[in-house]
Amino acid sequence: MKPPTDLLAEPGLDAPTHETTAVENPTVGIDQSAGDFTYDVKYEFDAGNGLNENVIRYISSVKKEADWILDFRLKAYQTFLAKPMPTHWATKDLENIDFNKIRYYLSQGTKPKRTWDEVPDDIKKTFERLGIPEQERKFLAGVEAQFDSEAAYSNVKDIVAKQGVIFCNSTEALREHPELFKKWFGKVIPTGDNKFSALNSAVFSGGSFIYVPKGVKVAMPLQAYFRINAENFGQFERTLIIADEGAEVTYMEGCTAPKFSTSTLHSAVVELVALKGAKIQYITVQNWANNVFNLVTKRAIAMEDAEVKWIDCNIGSRLTMKYPGVILKGRRARGEVISIALANDGQHQDTGAKMIHAADDTTSVIVAKSISVGQGRSTYRGVVHIPKHLKGCKNNTECDALLINTNSRTDTYPAIVVRGDTHAVQHEASVSKVSEDMIFYMQQRGLTEAQAMSLAVNGFVNDLVRQFPMEYSVELKRLIDLEMEGSVG
Amino acid sequence: MSASPLSTTPAEGLSSAHFATHLSRSAALPAWWLDAKKAAWNQFTALPLPSRTDETWRFSDLKGLDLTGFGLPEAAPQATPKHAAFPQSAELVFANGQATRGPVPADLAGRGVIFAPLEEALREHGDLVRSYFQKHPANLGSEKFVALNTALTATGAFLYVPADVEVALPFVVQHTLTGQNVAAFPHTLVVLGPRAKATLVEFFVSGGAASERQLVSGVNDLHAAEGAQLTYVGAQHWSRQTLAFQVNSIAAGRDARVLSLNLHLGGRQARHESHSRLLGPGAHSEMLALTVADGDREFDQRTLQTHVAPHTTSNLLYKNALLDTAKTIFSGLIIVEPDAQKTDAYQKNRNLMLSDEAEAHSLPGLEIQANDVKCSHGSTSARIDAEQEFYLQARGIAPAAARRLLVTAFFEEVLNKLENEDVHAALTALIASRFQA
Amino acid sequence: MPSLEIRDLFVALAATPDKPIVKGLNLTIRTGEVHAIMGPNGTGKSTLSKAISGHPDYVITSGDVILDGKSILEMEPDERARAGLFLAFQYPSEIPGVSIANFLRAAVQARLAEGEELDATAYYKRLYSKMDMLKIDRKFTSRSVNEGFSGGEKKRCEILQMAMLEPTFALMDETDSGLDIDALRIVAEGVEAMRGDKLGVLLITHYQRLLDYIVPDFVHVMYDGRIVKSGDKTLALELEAKGYDWVKQELAAATA
Repeated sequence: MKPPTDLLAEPGLDAPTHETTAVENPTVGIDQSAGDFTYDVKYEFDAGNGLNENVIRYISSVKKEADWILDFRLKAYQTFLAKPMPTHWATKDLENIDFNKIRYYLSQGTKPKRTWDEVPDDIKKTFERLGIPEQERKFLAGVEAQFDSEAAYSNVKDIVAKQGVIFCNSTEALREHPELFKKWFGKVIPTGDNKFSALNSAVFSGGSFIYVPKGVKVAMPLQAYFRINAENFGQFERTLIIADEGAEVTYMEGCTAPKFSTSTLHSAVVELVALKGAKIQYITVQNWANNVFNLVTKRAIAMEDAEVKWIDCNIGSRLTMKYPGVILKGRRARGEVISIALANDGQHQDTGAKMIHAADDTTSVIVAKSISVGQGRSTYRGVVHIPKHLKGCKNNTECDALLINTNSRTDTYPAIVVRGDTHAVQHEASVSKVSEDMIFYMQQRGLTEAQAMSLAVNGFVNDLVRQFPMEYSVELKRLIDLEMEGSVG
Repeated sequence: MSASPLSTTPAEGLSSAHFATHLSRSAALPAWWLDAKKAAWNQFTALPLPSRTDETWRFSDLKGLDLTGFGLPEAAPQATPKHAAFPQSAELVFANGQATRGPVPADLAGRGVIFAPLEEALREHGDLVRSYFQKHPANLGSEKFVALNTALTATGAFLYVPADVEVALPFVVQHTLTGQNVAAFPHTLVVLGPRAKATLVEFFVSGGAASERQLVSGVNDLHAAEGAQLTYVGAQHWSRQTLAFQVNSIAAGRDARVLSLNLHLGGRQARHESHSRLLGPGAHSEMLALTVADGDREFDQRTLQTHVAPHTTSNLLYKNALLDTAKTIFSGLIIVEPDAQKTDAYQKNRNLMLSDEAEAHSLPGLEIQANDVKCSHGSTSARIDAEQEFYLQARGIAPAAARRLLVTAFFEEVLNKLENEDVHAALTALIASRFQA
Repeated sequence: MPSLEIRDLFVALAATPDKPIVKGLNLTIRTGEVHAIMGPNGTGKSTLSKAISGHPDYVITSGDVILDGKSILEMEPDERARAGLFLAFQYPSEIPGVSIANFLRAAVQARLAEGEELDATAYYKRLYSKMDMLKIDRKFTSRSVNEGFSGGEKKRCEILQMAMLEPTFALMDETDSGLDIDALRIVAEGVEAMRGDKLGVLLITHYQRLLDYIVPDFVHVMYDGRIVKSGDKTLALELEAKGYDWVKQELAAATA
């Protein structure tokens, strides 16, 4: 038996290895450049291709960081080099990442020269159909280097500052408030948790740092839109949210519009700390271009009576590996992961959740739904761990997979460890397809086959989508409609 | 396969000398069999013991896989059946490898039914045995121990039921192992021809003191041809210090139905692997297991349901009752291959937690590559329903007895799937005796 | 006057196209008319309704179905539906997560011209008035389509959809199966309320009791894939009294 700390330290989301043959690259034969949307950009700060200590020193100096941060980065870089790829349990597609071809730091200082007219029509159409606000469209398309968040979202930062909330980017936070953030920075997710958390620790830039003081309940959701004006798209963003005792906060990141990015690797680290009685809700909706490796480590620690809820929606990317977790450290702590994944042609959504029970009477809930379309592949991996002399822990896990076409694939690999006779742990998973009879029924009411399919898929995830904030759930539905187009026949 | 030089074992214990002795005793058997044994011995010595990064051994106690010090047993006195008697077609009893056999009824023999010790079958029906022997190689992690079985097996039963022959009464096999530091390698091969029907019940018991340290590596391969109906029951009650591996493969052809039920009561560390292959449309495999895990025993169960052909069904239900500081591992996978449309597969692991120290690991998995399927799995780990327990106590039943009753009830759902009531009763008696011990 | 014409229709399962189930059936329905097809089980009644609406499990091997002078055989099921054909299913499908209100909204929207947006207020007004007519509770529309519905609720949901989509021709496949008398009455009242010169109805039923509530203008007896006898409502009563064997015997005598 591995001790529980060991399990924390590595993803441990192992799957059986009798994967029939050597895993093929699922994107073979798919034109990865189709639909990509890139420009040549002149960046004021550019660390160049590849990674070495000089790159890390460069990033640190551009950010004018304290010595301890540079040390932290350099140590992390060594850990990154030493850690193997988790390919003994994960997909071999990871081996196709060429770390020497990646740019680890880019920052735009000047305004880009392109105009809205240069943006391809299909991209414009996508924005329109998704109902993305005008200002955001220009930013997302790279027409504007800076997103005018002040106008779009008023002065969120100033409003919450009146409550004592600190909401800023990682660079600023570590410079201005080291006493607050240093304590938890890299503690929920140690640098060496896995190869990609180590990479992030070495080269992170961007991301949000939030501190909510004792008893403060932040009424409005804090948005990640806010921070993307500070840095270029967060490629290696680092987020740390601390909700002090009794505090409550909701954070939203990402957006439903496809992110058109030149980078092929996105590797974020997100740490949440919910102190006694605090509540944190973290909402992600991501739609990456289908050449992106999206390898993200997200974990929370929940103290006594605290509640953490991850709501996670993954669409797009070539490979997403993401298993938001909660360490239930205090009595009666509660953790929840709500996850939706949609894997289309050439995409692999490898997602799930980790619930580490470390105190009595803790409760965890996992609800995961995945949809595989065309040649898409979705995988659920989960860990539920109740290993010690604990009492009265509960877990309920449900994972449902929907398969749309004959070439789709879905896998489910949960790992459940329960010790003791006072717990209740339940896991249920199902795989189904949209039945022909259901589609015919809807067609008989006058809907086209595509409309019927889209309605069925939206119905499948409907109970989860309802948990998203209104504007997100509307966009999400539209996005699913878009993804479902061309999947019929 | 040519005769290659024999490799030597890296560890003390079962050595190439043991193997050479064994081989010389088997000299009268067909050449292909001896070649297979030599190859298997080399494979056994070449394969490493499972390691920590080995996914198929996740959560297993690898330190417990200690093969040192074991040797082949001396011939033992004739054993008598240790299970409750029930009506049967014929019985084979192996005591430390020594076979005692009851006759196959003339009417069955006359219709071509073969039920014989493996070595006899090799001599008399060599080609038949050969065409099924290890047709579907093991692939759930115990390849090394299966190779050891092939290399050293001399005991086991061969059951062959030709097309259209239905045998109502079960065939029974008992393996008894007696002695300190001895090893046994039972090998069972069951072949049912088209539309044949039969039941095989196998008992595995240690004959001597509970403290005897023993090693068992068993294999049982079941083949059900088109429309055949096979019921296999395996019940193990090895000694308290036994390290046991049992690797089971099931191949079900078109419209064949196979029910396998394994009862695990003994051993220090017992691993059971079972792989069902649904090879023809309409094939069905019902995979059942019951485990009473107490003391500090470890029961490690790995399963695979592979749906190869369309319109196939499988249903797995593994129930573990955990007491004391026992540990169970259930790792199951359903694979639906791309052509296996209209598959309906189910898998459930239920752990009844009866102690604060017991530990249950559950890894139910799905790999679905066809889209028109119905697959689901479930896993629950929970204690006895407190209300039920109280209800029984309120009727004056003592807590220990109440628990025993509720465990029995917990198992009944599985036992009820057995058609043969005598076999059902024999297993119930075995479980009850386990609780008394 | 719009008409639905079934001409010498042969239908088989797509899997076994050489084994016809419907064997040369002829029938013409005009708006304003209610036809009932009766017949013993396994005679091809349900196959007929599914084939007309374009179910992929069935194949029309010969003959034609003409709606308003145009063959519909080349049309997709949804095109047939939008052309005015409505099938009330014997076993309506469950659509988890899709509310009745949203489902009907999508179906009504599908009938609008491209670019035309549904007037939500008017839609709900109309939906609620239809529900009042069918004595359906408002809460009903927030439930997922048919999911966990009782037999009666499913049939009522079918009738509500029919009322909202206002078809020209409704094929009602064993609408009475599995209904108690109260549910049957509500369903029948709904159909009666919609009855008029804008709607033609084909009732497919095994039992005569539905015809106590919806009185047909024409009754047809279907046997072995064909209509073997037609008449008015008295034919239904006669069948009820004498059973299907009477028809079979008559048929045997005629062919002998």
